[in-house]
Amino acid sequence: MTLSPSSPPAVADNFPYISSIPLDLPALLAVAHHPEAGAVVLFSGETRDNSHNKKVAYLEYEAHEVMAAKMIDEILKESIEKWNLNYAVAQHRIGKVGICESAVAVITCSPHRSEAYAANRYIIDKIKHEAPVWKCEYFTDGTKEWGGNCNCYAITGDPDKHIYTSS
Amino acid sequence: MKIVMYALMKDYFEPELLVEEPVLNIDELKQVLLKRNADVENVLGVCRFAVNDWFIDNTFQLQSNDVVSIIPPSSGG
Repeated sequence: MTLSPSSPPAVADNFPYISSIPLDLPALLAVAHHPEAGAVVLFSGETRDNSHNKKVAYLEYEAHEVMAAKMIDEILKESIEKWNLNYAVAQHRIGKVGICESAVAVITCSPHRSEAYAANRYIIDKIKHEAPVWKCEYFTDGTKEWGGNCNCYAITGDPDKHIYTSS
Repeated sequence: MKIVMYALMKDYFEPELLVEEPVLNIDELKQVLLKRNADVENVLGVCRFAVNDWFIDNTFQLQSNDVVSIIPPSSGG
């Protein structure tokens, strides 16, 4: 679907939430404009070259694609409502993601920056903690380790309860 | 009943496996899986479960033709 600059949808519908090809950040940003939005925030979560004191060769992401897409859609719609956003989009990679490549991107647009920042932080936190997406780190020494970004259950005692806040 | 494994769970089981024992709920499914591989106990304890792409809890009555996804804690981003 072509987006009209004068009336863009609140949630982008021409970018799949789960992508097996590299994320095109310029293309995502190019449509993330709205005449009523004075603030556009883009977050890109990227592969760094070290973790657990070891050199990272690359990351590999896996997802329950149907459930992850459904969840990301719900998170975006919830955030648009909560922060009165003009536009929001998120994409998460699956497959092999090299150093400095984007694994996840979130863009939020709102009239003022505080809402765009807050919503963006909420969206990325909730995707990381709740969407069924998993990272496996592959190290240059030949070892691998499944990521455990979401260790909230160690604190809350419940894998369904997280420690992030929505404001 | 088909069981689909994701992420870390695939270090303990094949990506998909069939459970032919009668299991009525998630607790009973966990017991069947633990009999097949006792090492998965700690991981299994923090996993969520889904049937036909919806999260379920132990009150959900499993059917023999259900497809159950075992969802480890998320680690996206």
